[in-house]
Amino acid sequence: MATIREWLNRLWGTLRRTRADRDLEEELRLHLELAAEDARRRGDPPDRAARAARIEAGGLAHAMDELRDQRGLPWLEDLAHDLRYACRMLAGNPGFTIVSILSLTIGIGANCAVFSLADALLLRPLTVPRPAEVVTVGSIDRLWGTTPVGAGLVASYPDYVDLRDRARSFDGLAAFTNMTVAFGTSARSAPSLAGSDTLPRPRLGMLVSGNFFQAMRVEPRLGRAFLPEEGQVPGRDAVVVLGHDFWEQEFGADPSVVGRTVRLNGIEFTVIGVSPAGFTGLDQHVRFEFYAPLMMWPRLIAYSNVHPLDARDLRSVVIKGRLKPGVTIAQAQTELSVIASDLDRAYPVKSVTSRHQSLTVRTELENRIAQAPPNAMLIAMLTTLAGAVLLVACVNVAGLLTSRAPVRAREMALRLAIGAGRPRVIRQLMTESVLIAVIGGVLALGVGYAGVVLFRQIRFPTDLPIAPSFELDRRVLIVSLLTALASAIVFGLAPAFQATRAELIAVMKAADAAGPGRRRRWGRALLVSGQVAVSVVLLCVATFMYRGFRTQVDRGPGYRTDRVLTMTFEPSLVRYSETQSQQFFQQLVERARRAPGVTSAALASSVPMNGFIPLTIVPEGFRFPAGVENVTVSGAAVDEQYFDTIGLAILKGRAFGATDSAIAPKVAVVNEQLARTYWPGQDPLGKRFRLNDSLGPLVQIVGVAKTAKYTFLQEPPKSFAYLPYTQLPQRRMVLLAESQSDPASLAAPLRDVVRGLDANQPIANVRTMEEIYRMRTITILNVIIGLVAALGAMGLGLAIVGLYGLVAYAASRRTKEIGIRMAIGADRATVLRMVLRQGLALASAGLVVGLLASAGAARVLGAMFPGGSTREGRIDVVAFLLVASTVLAVTLVAAYVPARRASRVSLTEALRYE
Amino acid sequence: MSNRKPASADVLQGTLDLMVLQSLATLGPLHGYALAARLEQVSGGPLRLNMGTLYPGLMRLEQRGLVRGEWDVTDNNRKARFYRITAAGTRQLAAEKAEWDRMAAIMHALLHEQA
Repeated sequence: MATIREWLNRLWGTLRRTRADRDLEEELRLHLELAAEDARRRGDPPDRAARAARIEAGGLAHAMDELRDQRGLPWLEDLAHDLRYACRMLAGNPGFTIVSILSLTIGIGANCAVFSLADALLLRPLTVPRPAEVVTVGSIDRLWGTTPVGAGLVASYPDYVDLRDRARSFDGLAAFTNMTVAFGTSARSAPSLAGSDTLPRPRLGMLVSGNFFQAMRVEPRLGRAFLPEEGQVPGRDAVVVLGHDFWEQEFGADPSVVGRTVRLNGIEFTVIGVSPAGFTGLDQHVRFEFYAPLMMWPRLIAYSNVHPLDARDLRSVVIKGRLKPGVTIAQAQTELSVIASDLDRAYPVKSVTSRHQSLTVRTELENRIAQAPPNAMLIAMLTTLAGAVLLVACVNVAGLLTSRAPVRAREMALRLAIGAGRPRVIRQLMTESVLIAVIGGVLALGVGYAGVVLFRQIRFPTDLPIAPSFELDRRVLIVSLLTALASAIVFGLAPAFQATRAELIAVMKAADAAGPGRRRRWGRALLVSGQVAVSVVLLCVATFMYRGFRTQVDRGPGYRTDRVLTMTFEPSLVRYSETQSQQFFQQLVERARRAPGVTSAALASSVPMNGFIPLTIVPEGFRFPAGVENVTVSGAAVDEQYFDTIGLAILKGRAFGATDSAIAPKVAVVNEQLARTYWPGQDPLGKRFRLNDSLGPLVQIVGVAKTAKYTFLQEPPKSFAYLPYTQLPQRRMVLLAESQSDPASLAAPLRDVVRGLDANQPIANVRTMEEIYRMRTITILNVIIGLVAALGAMGLGLAIVGLYGLVAYAASRRTKEIGIRMAIGADRATVLRMVLRQGLALASAGLVVGLLASAGAARVLGAMFPGGSTREGRIDVVAFLLVASTVLAVTLVAAYVPARRASRVSLTEALRYE
Repeated sequence: MSNRKPASADVLQGTLDLMVLQSLATLGPLHGYALAARLEQVSGGPLRLNMGTLYPGLMRLEQRGLVRGEWDVTDNNRKARFYRITAAGTRQLAAEKAEWDRMAAIMHALLHEQA
């Protein structure tokens, strides 16, 4: 208590002298006077008294020092002093200040922007208290394991129950699954806001185990969370917790919502609570709209043949929980492995795909990386590039500081000479560096914001609340300041040490601290060449990506994206049975074909770039490696006009026909890639595969379609199979309608068609194919290319500043030499060439190194984007030539300007120059 | 630019605080010199506090709110800064005195048992 008070007082004393020096001195002086009087009174001999007085007077200065230190906080006073001094220094050298702050703004800003991307895609913690404790447990999702999309951890509900009851490493394991339901407010209690829309609308929520909120330590904002008994009896407890945002938007934040009745897929649910603000569920891209007990799952699924709570091989829940304090991931993993082998023994394996053995625990970050390896790779690449830009910026500032060193050497020497310790002087110089960096770091938020605006163009084509959220938040600010401090150390420390190593006498004698050593200039030359090299790599990567992406965009995805409107239907949301759904789809597409303006219409389980069905198949005659018995490929269930409507070419055989009905023999159309992979060198027509496993139904191939792009434009050629939707019924289908002109004009007539069939049928995701294609492909590519190009431009810009600075500096150091050369007959052109040659030598060295490194980078890029951003593996010579000529031209200008100035110096001035 | 040294080599920091507080508590408000003289007198001479120890010590006590200093006039009309113990200072003195007695008792018992 008293100590805190002392420190506060001292802090106050630092900011505002609590007692003036004069006041302190007066007190001490009185002390001396009284001591002298006492001495006289005692009758000390005068000489002893005088000596005592002298000693005491020395004590006065010492005591004053001690008092001043006690009055305030000396280090804070030093810091304030250094800061004042640094501000004066920066204000006095506006050129230096502007260039260095701008360099760092760009360098740190690039990192802020990339961090905000990384944060949205990977890093941002879950919106629960102490998110670092939360881990994911489950088996690697084999269904997705063979696709490039990446694999999360999943489990079946019976597995979850076993894990929950047996595992001791966790402090509460919760299970959940995401589900879209038709959400409606029942007529009698409908509030005005949602009541205006009587049609139930698809809403995305989480079905969670009874302990979910408790395990995640999330307290509801209103009402209560689920009770443990609400997670025990299937289908009994129809209660729902609303998401906070959803509650605000749909219910106007009305607190009386608790106790009201809502309808989920037609079943009446009682609202028992509202989740707290800030909690958005357990997926970084989704803001869930409601939470309901997992026990209600079977009732919410309209189809009666699926039993999600009983089937041990139906892995569709995700398990997350908190590690117990003190338990490591490795310990938890050991325990899980034991449980996994027990489960394997207790429930013998039917097929390879349903094996338990991969029971794994992952941290949230590991899980996110595993789910989306392309994201992680993209972020790794962008972070590297942004780091390179920052490095170039730091080298710039270090160069500027070094070139100021001779000017400041006398000041440093003077400070050292009058007794300031070297650490003290270094601290002062570092204060300057940190000040520059922090100003740069704050301004960098502007660059970061530009990045956020760029990234916000990325959206997913869905009506559900799924969107990556790019924010310039406190986390970005912290990253910016930490980056600033780190860069201050990188660029400031070496020059500070160098500046304080000055040899006092030599420096004090010399008029201008003499030239720096050969070594120092070499060091800087090396750094500038390095800068050029790094910016060459940045530009090459940007050019490779741009040209690679461009080619692919030009080549197109392999199907039509114009003149097609899509809309999604899921009749099971309004309690249609499977047969009713199929009938609805059939009638829908038939009537759509007759609607005004529609030239052709088709049905598909999903449209390209916006989802696919994983199909597990066993191709006949194909030998799998040992331990593997099937393969999962991407697929779609489509109708007979799909290929025509979307303009996808059938190369061999036929498309589906009306004869391929539910009871007819099963048929498939596969793409070239699939045919080539599993029946190499053979005619795929007539070949057969089984669905699921070696006991599954046989399907015969009747046609071969052109290989297209199914999930993103950069994907490598992917195996894909189409089945008639009559033979592979889906709950959700997309209607595609082709128009002669603007596809958006089809929306109204198609809505009329739907209303004619069922006025209560929800229509979702009304979008043109072009919009989906743009959202899924073009925008994302543009954002990435824009970012990489900006990084390249930043790098080059900074390197030019560095080169310009070095050439100008070197020329100014050689002014006298230039004067002498001119005096003995060199003309301006010779001088110009001389200075220019030095700059170009540096630039070319950097260029050569940069191009070599880029060749390596091209290979890495090729591995990261196997679809070929590097033009199918060939080295992109054009890109190299483009970058090389640009860099050469720009560096030539950067070296020419100072060289010309050097050659224009007048002879007398040059000779007088010291 | 500070060259910080321990407050005093010959007087333990806590001890000085205790001595100052005790003197102020028993004698009432005193100025710095009077305090030094008092301590010297009580100790019979050997305890000579230099200004570099005494005054920063007083300032620290003041910053902690244990004493309060105010300019006033001495008996022979000199302006001097008088220090007075505060209520918090009195409490602190009581606590530290008790602690000191406890420690002293322990030390005494220890040293004389071993002898």
